Amino acid sequence: MVATSTAALATAAVSARGVARAFGSVQAVADATLEVQPGTVTALIGPNGCGKTTLMLMLAGLLRPDAGEIRVAGADPRHDAAAVRDAIGWMPDQLGSWDNLTCLQTLTLVGRAFRLSRHEARERGAGLLEMVHLSEFADRPTRVLSRGQKQRLSIARALMNDPTVLLMDEPANGLDPRSRIELRTLVRELAAEGKAVLISSHVLAELDEMVDDAVFMSKGRTLGDEIADKVADAKRRYRVATLDDALLREVLAGGRVPFDEEPSGVIIRVGSEAEAAQALAWLMSKGVPVHRFGPAGSALEQTYMTMEEERR
Amino acid sequence: MTVLDDTPAAAPAPEPAPASSRGEVRGNPWFPTLRGTLLVTQIELMRRRPTAKGWIFYGLVLTAIIGVGVLLMVFAPEEKNSIPMELILVMVLGTGMLIAPSLSATSINGDSSEGVLAPLQMTRLRAGDLAMGKLLASWCIALVVLLTATPFLVYAFSRSGWHWDELLIVLGGILLVVLTSTAIGLAWSSIAARAVASVSLAHLTTGALLLGTLLVFLFTQPLISETVTSSNRYIDWGLLTDEQAQALDQAYMTGDFTALDLESLTCIDNTYEYGIAHTERTAWLLLANPVVMIGEMSPIILPSEENWGDGGTVAEEPVEPAEDDGRAEPGMFATMHAGVSDARIGPSEAELTGDSYDECADLAVMAAGEDPYAGVDDQWQSDWEAERQENAAYDRAPWIGLGVQAVLLLGSLWIVIARLRVPYKKLRQGTRVA
Repeated sequence: MVATSTAALATAAVSARGVARAFGSVQAVADATLEVQPGTVTALIGPNGCGKTTLMLMLAGLLRPDAGEIRVAGADPRHDAAAVRDAIGWMPDQLGSWDNLTCLQTLTLVGRAFRLSRHEARERGAGLLEMVHLSEFADRPTRVLSRGQKQRLSIARALMNDPTVLLMDEPANGLDPRSRIELRTLVRELAAEGKAVLISSHVLAELDEMVDDAVFMSKGRTLGDEIADKVADAKRRYRVATLDDALLREVLAGGRVPFDEEPSGVIIRVGSEAEAAQALAWLMSKGVPVHRFGPAGSALEQTYMTMEEERR
Repeated sequence: MTVLDDTPAAAPAPEPAPASSRGEVRGNPWFPTLRGTLLVTQIELMRRRPTAKGWIFYGLVLTAIIGVGVLLMVFAPEEKNSIPMELILVMVLGTGMLIAPSLSATSINGDSSEGVLAPLQMTRLRAGDLAMGKLLASWCIALVVLLTATPFLVYAFSRSGWHWDELLIVLGGILLVVLTSTAIGLAWSSIAARAVASVSLAHLTTGALLLGTLLVFLFTQPLISETVTSSNRYIDWGLLTDEQAQALDQAYMTGDFTALDLESLTCIDNTYEYGIAHTERTAWLLLANPVVMIGEMSPIILPSEENWGDGGTVAEEPVEPAEDDGRAEPGMFATMHAGVSDARIGPSEAELTGDSYDECADLAVMAAGEDPYAGVDDQWQSDWEAERQENAAYDRAPWIGLGVQAVLLLGSLWIVIARLRVPYKKLRQGTRVA
């Protein structure tokens, strides 16, 4: 029993089971359970003060949980903190930088703290600065950076050790729209490299487009399957808008596809992206003049709002 | 999930670093490594690197000091005198004990509130690396004070009559005391959440070591005092008739006591009690004081014989005259050593026996035309001289002070490392991790 549960914990890049942590009389995290698989992006969503950051800190191995099991890259942060730190790139919600040091110096020193050689650290730092579009600030002190630029420097810093797990606490805060889109692309690329990414944010529309999975938290608890079902359902909802709604309804009825009426077009449910592509091809082949075909708004936002309602 | 056509492609991530440079690690090691310590020291020193203006200011101060040093060297009198050098050493110790803890006492809680501590804790640096690196960096800055004072020191040393190895030992002691103060500051910084609290606590600790030991030594004297009874006999002047009083006055004025009728004078006995502190029991409090420790590490310098005129006699063991050993007269440290030695030796047998004075017996001797104090003054002088030489030559005892410094240094580092180890069990009151 114990052996199997440990094995199950070990397969995911990050897993937490029944994690709890109190600060004095305040129970910051009461019962958190989550898993992040390698190569995927998972969102950690919840209202302010629901324990997201505390949970992130425990996953990062900075804070000791009162109860529960945590595994990061197969290691327990309580006993194998060094291994965990080696595997994790951590981007804190607090933006701190060494004011007097330049961006490149900052990254080089962090790299050397990860035991890269001076040369390796410098190379990698320069590469990461280019990646986050801060090359022109490489030799300027970090105090001149704007909030968004510091945010990007923080991302670069989190990647200095080429982590297999990336924990990002509110990475989109203070980023301009272009930087947000770049962040989204970057996160997807990192996941495509096989990294497991756990990301917390309030900007749900942003998350929608970059995450594979979402964990909702409320009052220190991660919400379980019923929320997952809601997200899954919300994700399956595709809005189809055509130039000829009558034809669309006729085709759908003829194909025995269930659909919901919407003011503009209809909502259908598809099982996967492949199925969505098939559905679109099928509609096109039937001569339906589709002009919009896509997910029906932010699945996470829809779920978040229902969760908030439940809370009341 | 969604492919976006309109997103600008981010530059590709650089090649991952070769895995070979990072060994497999298990556990949560905390013991400092040389590499990690030096890296943290480097980071801290780079962060505190002065600006161009700072360097110019420092250069000006240094030039002024060198200038004054050269002037002093040219115009100073020839006699040897160790006090200027000791003053410089005390100044270096004092500034070091002020500056270093001020720097280190904001080093951990300050970093924590700036949000730059946790990212370092998330690297492969160990708690020990962070602690030692921060300690060394603050200490190095205090060393700059010593370097600035070097021109003065070199000059003052040349006149001091000390040997260079003695100076090095004392400098080593000063650097140790400064290092310990730095570590204490760092420990408070890891305990207190706010910089104001940790800086004041660090200075209070330093103050407790410097003044507290002296105050406790003074205030505990009543507890270690032995009651000594002084018994005296003297003429009861109240019972004298006018003639008798006049005759006695006359005798004391002229020194001719033969005419006195001693039988008719009433002698009264009087005893009173007073305390003599057994300072040898609490002298370790003094030895725990860092400044006393520095004094105990400095060379023994014997005072030259006082000239007491014809009656002056030499102490039991012949002492090498101070002028011949190339030494200056005892300076601050040697004087302090003598004072501390006096406390360590404690009261002598004679002091514990109590004073006694017998006016009636003295009068009897004097009435016989003799001097009751013949030879006593000489004896007293030679005792005094012997005690002076004994105190000055008493074995040096820096070990208690060094032990206190070592315990404080290691204890502080232990606290710092324990407080820097992650995962945190407990947080500083009212702080966040990052």
